Amino acid sequence: MLSRPGIPAGWLALILLPALTCAAPTEQQSRGQYLVNAGGCVTCHTEDRDGAAPLAGGRELVSPFGTFYSPNITPDKKTGIGNWSDEDFERAMHEGLSPSGSSYFPAFPYTAYTGITRQDALAIKAYLFSLPPVSAVNKEHDLPAYMSRFAAKIWRSRYFEAHRFQPDPEQSDEWNRGAYLVRHLGHCGECHTPRKSLGALIVNRELAGNPEGPDDEHVPNITPHKDAGIGRWSKSDIEYFLDIGMLPDGDFAGGSMVAVIEDNTSKLTREDRLAIASYLQALPPAADKD
Amino acid sequence: MHRKFLTAVTASVAACAVSLVAFAEPSAEDAQKYRVSIMTTLKGHIGAASMIVRGLVEDDGHLLAHAEGLKNGVAELHRVFQEGSAVGESEALPAIWEQPEKFAAALENSEMATTEFVKVVAAGGDRAAAGAAFRNVGMSCSGCHDDFRVAH
Repeated sequence: MLSRPGIPAGWLALILLPALTCAAPTEQQSRGQYLVNAGGCVTCHTEDRDGAAPLAGGRELVSPFGTFYSPNITPDKKTGIGNWSDEDFERAMHEGLSPSGSSYFPAFPYTAYTGITRQDALAIKAYLFSLPPVSAVNKEHDLPAYMSRFAAKIWRSRYFEAHRFQPDPEQSDEWNRGAYLVRHLGHCGECHTPRKSLGALIVNRELAGNPEGPDDEHVPNITPHKDAGIGRWSKSDIEYFLDIGMLPDGDFAGGSMVAVIEDNTSKLTREDRLAIASYLQALPPAADKD
Repeated sequence: MHRKFLTAVTASVAACAVSLVAFAEPSAEDAQKYRVSIMTTLKGHIGAASMIVRGLVEDDGHLLAHAEGLKNGVAELHRVFQEGSAVGESEALPAIWEQPEKFAAALENSEMATTEFVKVVAAGGDRAAAGAAFRNVGMSCSGCHDDFRVAH
């Protein structure tokens, strides 16, 4: 088994236990668990060290705009989101606003989550609220002076428009499912799409790679360009990569994607991974920029 | 007689000296080159095995050969990370030598996973079982690369 610093068996048991001991999870909670995996919530909301409590926040996210620390999203009433109403949760996911009305920094990918259905958002909340509350006080972000909540508000008003995902009737159901997972729930573009100087995604270069990705990583181009992207990968290659992390040449890349595969894509159904592959293969191939 | 004895002693001393040269530590460059060759071999076995495990290519008995190749190659990894050999285009991170216990545990993880993979394939288990064992091999590769190799 992979020994990534992260979630030891004990904590996993804690996640699973309530389901076994108290009451069987409702259908909504089970669906929420699947969506939490698909949404990559665990990776960012769990501190990157051995023994860290899942979803209790504290993971460091180093970006060109400063260092962010993810908050506690367990249902602890004092330090987590235990007091949030359904409306509070939906507003955070869909509009990027906290219960007090202040704007989140887009390090929280509300710009992607805005597209998910209300039903899915509430299933995620139902699952999170079925977990044991963990008391862990949120860590202050370490940001330059210009990165204030006010700046976040201006950024939000300038670059963000709330919208739900609308399936494209011209495309297959598989493509539409892939689009929903890639653009919204899985928020792949947050790392794989390059950004303008103020951090907004360059939409006409969707998933064309980001030389200035989080944690100083060079995030690869995953459009179907034959040389710059993954145009030589088969659909099965993409599905298998998302399942176990193997590149078609037999290499295992490592880096941030290891956690994404472990916490997120390997836990999806094969159909969902194929849907992602289908969407990626239909993107316009993007060459590297000079 | 005396001379014969002397010749014999000289010859064995010379032989020892030659074998000492042969088993001296390789240069940093050679160590790195050898390591890359081993990793490339592993990559080849992984890539080929994955095609069979996924059912894209029929197994005519070669899956076992690939599994054994992986096991043998992985068993050698503990000796190919010579200190000071992060030269040239090496992607080995200093953590390998700074956290030797953690690194050894990561290698051991891979040894266990490849040994199990050989066992499952040799037992003629179904494809699902081989796939699951192969997944663990892959996870062990990623786990080690994540901490000890330059991110790609």
